[in-house]
Amino acid sequence: MSLPSGTRNYTYAQDMAILRTKTHWALFAGFLVLLLAAPLYLGGYWLGVMNLIGITLIAATGLNLLIGYCGQLSIGHAGFIAVGAYTSAVLTNRFELPFLVGLLCAGLMAGLIGIIFGLPSVRVKGFYLAITTIAAQFIIIWVINHWSFTGGFVGIKVPYASIAGFEFRSEASQFYLIMSITALGTFFAKNLARTKVGRAFIAVRDNDLSAEVMGINLLYYKLLAFFIGCFMAGIAGSLLAHWIGYLNAEQFSLTESILYIGMIIIGGLGTAIGPIFGVVFIRLLQQVLTVILVPFLESTVTALPSGFATGVTPMLFGLVIVLFLILEPRGLAHRWALFKSAYRLWPFSY
Amino acid sequence: MKNKRLLIVTAVTCLALMLAVLPAISACGPKEPTLKIGIMTPSTGPAAEKGAPMGHANLDCIQYINDELGGVGGYKIEAVWLDSKYDANQVVTNVKKFMDKDCLLFGTASSKEMSAAMEIANRAEFPGLVCFNAPVLHRPPQHIYGQMTDYGDDWTAFARYYMENIWKGPGKPKMALHLLNNTTGYGARDAAKAAADELGIDIISVDEHKADTTSEMDSLTRIKASNPDVLYISSTPAPTALIIKNAVDLGLYPGITIGLGHASITKALVDIAGADVVEGVYGVFPTVNWGDNVPGMAKMTEYCQKLHPDDYGNMDYITSWAQSLIMAEIVRLAVTNVGYEVLDKGGVEAWRAVEKYGIQKLNYDVEGLHGPVSYTPGDNRLAKSLRIFQIQKGAIAPVTDWIEAPLVKYEEFDWFGK
Repeated sequence: MSLPSGTRNYTYAQDMAILRTKTHWALFAGFLVLLLAAPLYLGGYWLGVMNLIGITLIAATGLNLLIGYCGQLSIGHAGFIAVGAYTSAVLTNRFELPFLVGLLCAGLMAGLIGIIFGLPSVRVKGFYLAITTIAAQFIIIWVINHWSFTGGFVGIKVPYASIAGFEFRSEASQFYLIMSITALGTFFAKNLARTKVGRAFIAVRDNDLSAEVMGINLLYYKLLAFFIGCFMAGIAGSLLAHWIGYLNAEQFSLTESILYIGMIIIGGLGTAIGPIFGVVFIRLLQQVLTVILVPFLESTVTALPSGFATGVTPMLFGLVIVLFLILEPRGLAHRWALFKSAYRLWPFSY
Repeated sequence: MKNKRLLIVTAVTCLALMLAVLPAISACGPKEPTLKIGIMTPSTGPAAEKGAPMGHANLDCIQYINDELGGVGGYKIEAVWLDSKYDANQVVTNVKKFMDKDCLLFGTASSKEMSAAMEIANRAEFPGLVCFNAPVLHRPPQHIYGQMTDYGDDWTAFARYYMENIWKGPGKPKMALHLLNNTTGYGARDAAKAAADELGIDIISVDEHKADTTSEMDSLTRIKASNPDVLYISSTPAPTALIIKNAVDLGLYPGITIGLGHASITKALVDIAGADVVEGVYGVFPTVNWGDNVPGMAKMTEYCQKLHPDDYGNMDYITSWAQSLIMAEIVRLAVTNVGYEVLDKGGVEAWRAVEKYGIQKLNYDVEGLHGPVSYTPGDNRLAKSLRIFQIQKGAIAPVTDWIEAPLVKYEEFDWFGK
């Protein structure tokens, strides 16, 4: 970690600390206060957006471990989220099991399915692996649609999440539940990247042949990456199911899978903070364009041809992403690192 | 170092203040009393060919009500319109936005949108009105209401019409179903399951397609091999056009009868497929047609031609214009029965009032634009009649008068919803 001038690490604990200086702690405390107080100053809609961001972040963090750290390209992430969502829905609706059991089983089931579809990664990589994970997307959705147990095309209702008799009915209570799990997921991912497993992932990503020569078990670590990435997708799916209350396979489209990849690329692949930036950027961009900009343009700029603002939204969304990739291909995390460096040296230029 | 700390503290304080003050700023300014309604249409995305004109119609009608009728009950209607993009996650946040904005009720265009929204709305007791309706949305009845008859009613009405007016052969006619893989298609499937035997129809195959399907040659080849008498499609215009084109290419049509559910038959279908391809195709639709002599036609036509001339001739426009009229009538009844103060409070109390004193008191002819709407306990379909149309020389012409669609209690079948 880059530290301010004059700050030194004298112990391993200091070296490993995520929050190292008082400034870090102060900023983190301020962020926590703002976050935890959000239900006081945000309405139901923005809390809903925050909940969607939290759920997406858990899934994107899992995908970042898989693609960003371990280099295993997966284009079927929405399918794995669907596995988690439906596992939780079936267990809590049809078997009336507790939410926490559904949540855990959702992660495990998605992780196991992830391992099955991750098996080809032992033999293929890159675009070839991407194709096999696209198959996962289609197979999973097909099974959901054609299995009466999941409600098929009609869908399935999902009860409120509840723990120890407390039902998470309000948007605010769901916010605290989702944010707690999101924080745990992010903390887990940040720490995993600094362990032996994380270093093995990076070695596999950078050069799998060299990694194997160094004694890293490729099969084990690749499948472990699939398991962890899909486990987190499953957890996100479970939260999504209990948040929306009704599941339909159309909610887990290939477009959504591709969007997840876009999020981690825009945020910054292989960084712990990247998914946070990417998810917040994409989800807010979607909301700002759809909920704020389009109705505003349609109602105020009457000189525009009818439907122009609505029609231009998808183009604008695509354009922003393309420009972003051209101007900052290393993602927002890199921009953030540059900002921190500049801030650390300020007011000096070097 | 001191400066740096000062900078941090200032920045954090400013940010906190901004976040704290933002809601207060947005609430500033004189507030004209209005009655808010939420409207959601898939104006972009895979169903935009239906959603865009429907959104236009919703807002054009609200403009007409406010400009020419002075609103309802002495209050202007404020439409909070949002594009759903035909995307479930966007639908969820949109519904929360409507609730946050204290909308009194909300409307969606498609059954898919409402299927994503309904659980949130039902949990909150936030009443919703869906244009294109499917049984799963209102059976068992909760807080979601169907503006029109549902996709199941379409199938039943068409099947009855077919048996009484078209089928001349001996024995049972063989019917193949081609269904969109969501509530649009499955409404028809459920109705066929419930009533085919009783009507004396043999369902020989049920095929599914996706909204973005590019070829249905395989499924139609199978269907052709089973020698059907009638093909029923419940889908949206683009895939329906493709299926009919493929049927023509295979020589399956003409030669059999094709019937369509109400989400399929619209001007967009004729435009996409071509008039010669869809000539003679039957369809079920719960509204009148353009140019019909009904009280509401003149104003609707005037506004359509003034504001969105490209939508003229599109029956989806009529549907959504009627939806806005119904929503306006609902809030008029509510404000008349309980007063503005109750509705202005927003939240559950206002929603309950709208449902009890607005929706459930409805008895409105929708200016003749579609079947009259009223509430019957246990039946959340507000309109209960529809008509059969046929495409003749590129025009969608009615071939029947209004047909009553009896209520089917799907939840009493153990297969329903599975």
